[in-house]
Amino acid sequence: MNRTRILLSAATLLFASGAMPVLADDVVLGGSAPMSGAQAEFGQSQIDGAQLYFDQLNEKGGIKGNKVVFRPLDDRADPRQGTLVAQQFCDDSAVIGVIGHMNSGVTMPALDIYSECGMPQVVPATNPELMRMGFKTVVRPVANDFVQGALPAKYVTGKLGLKNAVLVHDKTVFGQGISGVFKDNFEAGGGKVSGTYGTNPEDVDFSALIASIKLENPDVVYMGAGMPQLALFLKQMREQGLKAQFIGPDIGFTVDFITQVGAASAEGALMTFQLPPYDSSPELKDFSDRHQARFGRAPGPYASLGFANAQVMAAAVEKAESLDREGVLAQLHGVTVDTLLGPVAFDENGENTTAPMYLYVVKDGKFELIKQ
Amino acid sequence: MFDYFLQQLIFALAIGAIYGLIALGYTMVYGVMRLINFAHGEFFMLGPYIYTFLFSGLLGLGGLAPVLDSAIAIVASFVIVGLLGVAIERFAYRPLRAYGRLAPMLSALGMSIVLQSAVRVTVGPQPVHFPAIVESTPIDALGGMVTTVQLGILAAAVLLMVGLTLFVNGTRLGIWIRAASESWTTSSLLGIRVNRAVSLVFFIGPGLGAMAGIMYASYYGIMQPTMGSVIGLKAFTAAILGGIGSIPGAMLGGFLLGAIEVFGTAFLPILSFGYIGTEYRDVFAFAVLILVLLFKPAGLLGETVSEETTVAKKDY
Repeated sequence: MNRTRILLSAATLLFASGAMPVLADDVVLGGSAPMSGAQAEFGQSQIDGAQLYFDQLNEKGGIKGNKVVFRPLDDRADPRQGTLVAQQFCDDSAVIGVIGHMNSGVTMPALDIYSECGMPQVVPATNPELMRMGFKTVVRPVANDFVQGALPAKYVTGKLGLKNAVLVHDKTVFGQGISGVFKDNFEAGGGKVSGTYGTNPEDVDFSALIASIKLENPDVVYMGAGMPQLALFLKQMREQGLKAQFIGPDIGFTVDFITQVGAASAEGALMTFQLPPYDSSPELKDFSDRHQARFGRAPGPYASLGFANAQVMAAAVEKAESLDREGVLAQLHGVTVDTLLGPVAFDENGENTTAPMYLYVVKDGKFELIKQ
Repeated sequence: MFDYFLQQLIFALAIGAIYGLIALGYTMVYGVMRLINFAHGEFFMLGPYIYTFLFSGLLGLGGLAPVLDSAIAIVASFVIVGLLGVAIERFAYRPLRAYGRLAPMLSALGMSIVLQSAVRVTVGPQPVHFPAIVESTPIDALGGMVTTVQLGILAAAVLLMVGLTLFVNGTRLGIWIRAASESWTTSSLLGIRVNRAVSLVFFIGPGLGAMAGIMYASYYGIMQPTMGSVIGLKAFTAAILGGIGSIPGAMLGGFLLGAIEVFGTAFLPILSFGYIGTEYRDVFAFAVLILVLLFKPAGLLGETVSEETTVAKKDY
């Protein structure tokens, strides 16, 4: 009885974990982002956006007549899970391209694995170091943190004339990187950074830290961290009466940020984001409607980015001489395609040659674009 | 500098009160059953979720003033989480009593995963905004800023702790708990239903944890399914710091851990001239725990385990 049970459970496990049957001619592409955990909203929106594009392609007959099968896997924003996912994609010989990962800290160790197995990779993560590590298998269509850290720094030193800043980061690759970039640009603009503070990525209580920062009396607080830490920090800042200008990175660009801080306290906070508002162009509006029709909900924060990444990957597969990793890789760096977010072309590092970045301010409980 | 110190004291008291309330749950269960209830952090997490559900439900019905809705929802959360605790004890721990000390602990770990996943699957993994019970208005007090929420938390926590002490020391049900903590065999010989005492402890402990969860969620404004794990671990540390099994110990441990964390974060950078930053708070707190345990293994107010006490408590 026991042995039968064991054999049965083993068989069920193997069967359940087996992939769906894939036809030999299908184009299989992988995708990875956090689909659970605190950043699930961002990761899932990327996956949804990519899925939407591949569904569109399949309706028109797929790539070169082959159906596109998109396989999203959850990396939980955890580098350990990310490397497992990368290995899984590499081991699956049907997968000929991967769109991932969303977090710079997860992407960094995974790059090596993808490079080893020659997997073409389109990466949304924004840390500048990623493209300077010498891997030839990866391209990035989205603006990196050099741009993302520079834009608000130029704005507050130029337009607002603020002089004294304090940096807070969460000690992740992303957080430290981007606050460093902000610091360089802020100082270049004539300002002074009076202190850099670190927190843990999972911290919720910043009261002691804010009390210390208050002693410096800064005009600006730049925080390189994720959600909900950004919201918690700003909320506690205002509760303690620290009225400095708050600036955060793209991961804070979500309605949750405003609800969690409270519309009154969030007023005036600045946030950078790589994408223009969904009602700013007819293509984006159309995308938004199609997303609503397909998924029954409005596009999440990174949905258009996921869509654009999928466009880049599909363009490479389209031009590939053979439908395998080498074929796609050969075309990857040479892709020039008009995506939902504008034209994309890559330089020798795999970075996008045109990389727009947008600055938003919280006004009346909503994010409003600051026109430059 | 005095202002700075006072400000930090306020934070320490507020977070210490929350740790203390959760630690009470750990300590009471350990006292009566010698079991570390690892699922306790999840009761802490369930409190605000159930409160939000009930509160928005009552608000939707619209018959009463929001304040009354809130009060009813709070009491109801206490009762619901308490009953859930009793049920979990009955179905996940009691059947394993005959199998040694390890089996119930593993069951508790499993229960913790079940509860966390249940909430994550039904409500979603991302942090959710918690509807404020009291609007957080800062009050200028003696140079520091106190918010109404912090005052509320302190007041509520002190009330609950005083209430619990009076209950355990002054009522008949309290005698059950104290007797069961000392010896099950002797208690049953004297006519005390030990299982009732266990169920009582599993009602009060998780209930207090749920209250702490609601306070925590109103303090920070958010709740997420994973909030129970880290805070549960810290409160467990507080319970050990104060002496596990001792109710005053849990309260003391809670406030002490809160103070260590807050003052450590606040003054470490100053004292170390910037070398040790604020992110070393957890390191500092656990280092203190290690030191305390090295010199006083039973915790600050814990009973020193000696030959007589071990022999007396061995059988249940």
